[in-house]
Amino acid sequence: MEKVECIVVGGGLAGLSAAYGLADAGVEVMVLERGDYSGAKNVTGGRLYASPIRSFYPELWEEAPFERAVARELVTMLGDGAQTTIEVASDRFTADPPQSYTVLRARFDQWLAEKVGEKGGMVVPNMKVDALLREEGRIIGIRAGEDEIGADVVIVAEGVLRLLSSEAGLAAEPVDRDHALGFKEVIELPPGVIEDRWHLNPGEGAAQLFLGNVTDGMLGGGFLYTNKESISLGVVVGMKAMRERAEKAKPQDASESYQLLDRFKALPQIRPLVAGGTVAEYSAHAIPEGGIAAVPKLAGDGYLMAGDAAGLALNALITVRGMDFAIASGYYAAEAVKAAKARADFSAAGLAGYEASLRGSFVLKDLQTASQIPAFMENPRLFTHYPRAVSRLLEQIYTVGPGPTPGLFKTAWGGIRRDFMNTGTVKDAWSARRI
Amino acid sequence: MDIVVCVKTNPDLQMVRVKNREAVVEAVPYKLGDLDKNALETAIQLRDAAGGTITAVSVAEGNRKIRETIKEALAMGADSAAVVDDPALAGADPAAVAAVLAAAVKKLPGCDLVLFGEGSTDNYSGQVGPRVAELLGVPQVGFARKVEAVDGAVRCERSMDEMIETLEVALPAAVTVVSEINEPRIPSLMHIMKAKSKPVEEWTLADLGVDAGAVAARREIVSNLAEEQDRKHVLFEGSAAEQADAFVNALIKEGVLGR
Repeated sequence: MEKVECIVVGGGLAGLSAAYGLADAGVEVMVLERGDYSGAKNVTGGRLYASPIRSFYPELWEEAPFERAVARELVTMLGDGAQTTIEVASDRFTADPPQSYTVLRARFDQWLAEKVGEKGGMVVPNMKVDALLREEGRIIGIRAGEDEIGADVVIVAEGVLRLLSSEAGLAAEPVDRDHALGFKEVIELPPGVIEDRWHLNPGEGAAQLFLGNVTDGMLGGGFLYTNKESISLGVVVGMKAMRERAEKAKPQDASESYQLLDRFKALPQIRPLVAGGTVAEYSAHAIPEGGIAAVPKLAGDGYLMAGDAAGLALNALITVRGMDFAIASGYYAAEAVKAAKARADFSAAGLAGYEASLRGSFVLKDLQTASQIPAFMENPRLFTHYPRAVSRLLEQIYTVGPGPTPGLFKTAWGGIRRDFMNTGTVKDAWSARRI
Repeated sequence: MDIVVCVKTNPDLQMVRVKNREAVVEAVPYKLGDLDKNALETAIQLRDAAGGTITAVSVAEGNRKIRETIKEALAMGADSAAVVDDPALAGADPAAVAAVLAAAVKKLPGCDLVLFGEGSTDNYSGQVGPRVAELLGVPQVGFARKVEAVDGAVRCERSMDEMIETLEVALPAAVTVVSEINEPRIPSLMHIMKAKSKPVEEWTLADLGVDAGAVAARREIVSNLAEEQDRKHVLFEGSAAEQADAFVNALIKEGVLGR
């Protein structure tokens, strides 16, 4: 059997990040990517938090093809005919260096694949891996079509569906509770229009999340990120909530999940944001949202798991992360493989540094901190009651009717008592203390 | 039979979008031309039947992705490759590319047959094959849909609307092929890995003894715009059944249905 030192399954950010570190250290590495090119199969909202990963491969981020540095953060709560947007802008979001950027994966991943090539790594697109080869409990290589190729170590960065690793018994098959489904359109708009619409300086970007009247009461929400010459607009919905809704729906009420995005786009609050735009791309993708409880075993004899395949993504309601986790896990995977190579020990023990590094880093620490969030988010009131109640309260405060207007305090207090002081909200507040 | 296959790196046309009638090639991956793969497959089948070598030759035209895509040719089955890259080649026109390819073919140790796709996947001028044949002073067969080796010659078949023409041409010769000649193979992972160690020569114009002035573009592309098509924007009203009837009637009237 032909053999290389390291095979990386999947040429997304986790796989490419690992390959870059390995190729840079002179390790013979081959990335096998199923798509026509790296980034072809990837979908992101998307924003990449650069601050957590800037110390890994610092030379890369200087020239990375980011879209816009995010200067404005918006959260919009969509109620019934009323909406409330909280907008936060800070000089420190975009101070040199900016903390986060919007990205488009087709461009970003191709660029990173090129960088891997420049370091001497081999990135093979259009190459579907059919199986991980297992011998006496150890991963010894891969099979692609007729060819079996051996490796000292296989980095499994195959993405959220984990088809190969669950087949090989390295990880459980993904379950709907731990995943969401994202639908996204890239809508082209001239840069000047984007900057006017979101009050941005040239080159700066905005990130906007939407809660409430987006997912029909199901776990999820909407997102909007401004790219250089387009916006990424989408809807994310929990798979379990979606399945339960489908099971309950009468046939005549059955709707397809992708229609959520069409309905979202048609909302009177969204229409002006996309007006005049041309839809350039449509995509959909599964997203790991199971939190730390859904992270599989990260390493074993002859293999490591990285990125979405390892469940390394975090929806913390206000911050949505995954790409930084993918890059970090790839970086630590490369470090672990380099150390294992130095000792010529690619067993679970030899690769144990990987999990230790992840535990010591923001990756597993932040997932641990957010461990209660997946359960918290199963509360449908988050996606129905609260966005509505907040918008209703503020709407009343701003309302001047034909007759006498009650005092500000009375209006506010009445609204708070009505919508925020009952057993449900007290329970919700109590469960929120741990998020 | 020692065969040279001339190949070109193109943007993946499936990924190119048109915006304001201009092609958007930013972030579009590059790949070997589709018809070039047909030429390469033809070469592989000839070599496997009759022996010999295959050299893939490509001219950079200012495109740095060429080193990646030439590996595709090696993975498919070329034995070696030669890449001509030179700053003077940026924006080279078909005449210049042909001049460089002819010089490259002459520099190679031996060549019995030069194969091309009938045109490139992107600009499709269809000029380069015949021009190289002329510069090399060898006979040329265009648009072959079948190429067979016969003693000291190749027998080519081409479709001429109402008839099929069979031509036999003595080697050395140049042949361009059409897409229906074969189904190009998709290289296996093993072949991709082995391609890594196959030799790739890198030449500049000076290496070929070609003067930079000789490749200065004599052709200027004045504009390159996508065709604009007026849409009819017909809206059908009424009940669903009425709309469907009106729609079908309109399609029949347009000659799309019921011919």
